[in-house]
Amino acid sequence: MSNEEPKGLKAWLLTTDHKKIAILYLYTAAVFFIVALLLAVLMRTELLTSDKLIFGPKLYNVFFTIHGAAMVLFWMIPVLLGFFANYLIPLMIGARDVAFPRLNSLSYWFYAASGVIAVLGLLLPGRLDIGWTGYPPYSITTEANTALYIFAVHLLGASSIGGAVNFITTIITMRAPGMTWGRLNLAVWGFFGAFIIQLIGVPVLAAAVTLLLFDRYLGTNFYDAAQGGSPVLYQHLFWFYAHPAVYVVALPVFGIVSEIISTFSRKKVFGYTSMVVAIMIITVLGFETWIHHLYVAGVANWSRVIFMWATILIGVPTGIKIFNWLATLHKGSIRLTTPMLYALGFISLFTIGGVTGIANGLLGFDIHVHDTHWVVAHFHYVLALSMTMLCIGGVYFWFPKMTGRMYNENMGKLAFWITLLGSLVAFMPHFKLGLDGIPRRYWSIPEVYSSMMIISTIFSYIAIAGFILAIYNLIVSAINGEKAGDNPWRAKSLEWSIPSPPPFYNFEKIPVIEEGPYEYGKPGS
Amino acid sequence: MYRFVITATTSMAVLFFIFFLTVAEAVDPAESWQKHYNLWFIISIIIWLTVTVPLVYFVFRYKKKREDEDGAYIEGSTFLEITWTGIPIIITIVLGVQSWALFNQYRKVPQDAYEVRVEGFQYGYEMIYSEGIKTLNELRVPVGPVKLSMISKDVIHNFAIPKYKVREDMIPGRMTYQWFLAKEPGEHMVYCAELCGPGHSQMLAKVIVMEKNDFNSWVESYKIESSALSPEERGKNLVKNLGCTSCHSLDGEEIAGASFKGYYGGASILEDGSTVTVDDAYIEESIKNPKAKVVKGYDPFMQPYSLPDEDIKAITAYLKTLK
Repeated sequence: MSNEEPKGLKAWLLTTDHKKIAILYLYTAAVFFIVALLLAVLMRTELLTSDKLIFGPKLYNVFFTIHGAAMVLFWMIPVLLGFFANYLIPLMIGARDVAFPRLNSLSYWFYAASGVIAVLGLLLPGRLDIGWTGYPPYSITTEANTALYIFAVHLLGASSIGGAVNFITTIITMRAPGMTWGRLNLAVWGFFGAFIIQLIGVPVLAAAVTLLLFDRYLGTNFYDAAQGGSPVLYQHLFWFYAHPAVYVVALPVFGIVSEIISTFSRKKVFGYTSMVVAIMIITVLGFETWIHHLYVAGVANWSRVIFMWATILIGVPTGIKIFNWLATLHKGSIRLTTPMLYALGFISLFTIGGVTGIANGLLGFDIHVHDTHWVVAHFHYVLALSMTMLCIGGVYFWFPKMTGRMYNENMGKLAFWITLLGSLVAFMPHFKLGLDGIPRRYWSIPEVYSSMMIISTIFSYIAIAGFILAIYNLIVSAINGEKAGDNPWRAKSLEWSIPSPPPFYNFEKIPVIEEGPYEYGKPGS
Repeated sequence: MYRFVITATTSMAVLFFIFFLTVAEAVDPAESWQKHYNLWFIISIIIWLTVTVPLVYFVFRYKKKREDEDGAYIEGSTFLEITWTGIPIIITIVLGVQSWALFNQYRKVPQDAYEVRVEGFQYGYEMIYSEGIKTLNELRVPVGPVKLSMISKDVIHNFAIPKYKVREDMIPGRMTYQWFLAKEPGEHMVYCAELCGPGHSQMLAKVIVMEKNDFNSWVESYKIESSALSPEERGKNLVKNLGCTSCHSLDGEEIAGASFKGYYGGASILEDGSTVTVDDAYIEESIKNPKAKVVKGYDPFMQPYSLPDEDIKAITAYLKTLK
């Protein structure tokens, strides 16, 4: 292979370069993110009144199905494991590309095709109204085209398994000389944990939906109680992956937070070893929690108790990470750039999502709030506020590396504060609704809550405006931004040691690693 | 080390004991739930402040002073790591034990509970009483503990009573149960909390708690009353109770199906372009096999209802009155 970089549209479509594939992932995921935001606008507008305002119950069910699927499966997971992992892992471990570049390309195209199929579920007749969970028997008896959803999950699963095999191999075998496990970036550790979860979990999800496909179209009875099957079996199989999928998102996010906090405190990450151990504990424990989604599904009492303990214990390693970040800030030299604001905001908001998550995990507590707006508020604090915002922060952090240009700092900060204000207020009323026992997935909320619904809707518009402004800033700066230089943050991690944007071959000479990525202010250096 | 293990084990045992006692005192799970919530809430506020106050303080205290300044070189601290692993473990155990005790209350049904069988369907609930009475979307119970034995006739539903802080899914082919303590007479909402289709948000019911004497006389009078109604009145109750109005409005508004206002005697255009008159036969067919003749512009998601002929006649009689 020559060292000349191919150019033009064909070079993008046929590329096997991990950086180009990463950017394709970013663009594609951003499109689904915006689609999902638009659906959120439509749903929030419908909820302004308790009567039908624009489209009513049928489309409402379709919109929350696609909103959930697009946000989790086509935005959060791909932007982290498609974009960040792809772009950063080879640069952080000192490799020229991933282990299987063509498999990498295939993974991207499977993902893109899968996303298109899912959006067809929104447009074609027989619109998907089964929720992103697709529980039978409803997903079997509905007129909706469940097959589209199943095919989308299959394709996406193939993409995810390919990605997991590829990156686990890359991290294990392609580290530069001297890049020991103890010198890996915490982001790489986060990706590593996430890919292990993908490798173990995704095949089970694929099995769950395959049985659903057979039941719906080929007359089998895996989930049909009248013929000796069990609809609850699907819930077990589905959540065996779909709950750990939360950690697929969380672990890379935790890693990225560590990178940003360390760089802008100019201080070594506090307790590196305990950070790594915490990631690995979450990876393992994450598979022992799925029954908390079945706390009121008539499963055996003892199994609910066991899974409660595993669920709430996850709070412990998560707490370790939060306190280590705080200790990293202590005696640092803190610079409040846009990515740093996102990271600090993440810590504070994720704590709200975390303690309400413990509430959901507490078995007795959950029996009153299960499937209510309490849960809606909880997972939007975790996924929408803290994690999606952190992903935006991460893109800002590595933006100078990817483009060689600097974003507009003032506009970046403004967008952060707008999103923070909007989403902080938008989901608060939902906690109250949940405590009053109002179930989620209702297109019509009782009249007494109308003032809360209006507040929630207005602030959700504000939050979305903030996201749009953040994205606009990135696009404009990519074209017109000032030249940033190779290492504007004076960061010590390996990816900042090469030119921006990185050359086609990444490293002219494979580097020999002599110290870890966070050695700021080391005495005698 | 040895002394530490002994101390830790003893204090754990004491904690377990205390928390089982504190929650076990109350016999009403809804009350225990409130206690559990209060403890969780206080702990959560403390945790959030423990994180956010130092965060904000550090940001101001350690703001950079010079462009080329670095932070202090600190690797970590085993003592601190043990502290912020140990304290969260203790908090987790305290909350977990209390939650576990609460769960045991939720699942342990008192011996003297009044039992009702509830069957869920798209979109409503049928209550079947041991006295041979059936009601739709209206659960009447005497004051005292009540046990619900639940099952679904079609897809998965849920029977949530926020007032009593209980909910449990209704699953085809699997009996599930829950119980609550109906303390005093009153009317409370019931919601379906599991996505079951376009009528999910309208799958509502009521729990009506009555004094024991009132409940007994309601049981006695029920059969006499129901046979004394005119067909139109019976039809009106059926339409309301079967949940038809989730999709078919009575005032001309388009929800998910055609409005019943001025429906009878009108003409509808079908998917294939042909026209059908809404008469007795069409209404009977549309209830028994809704997918046979679907009106253009509506999705065919209505489920078949197998009702006795007299009920269908009553519904038809009622629809005739909706001009």
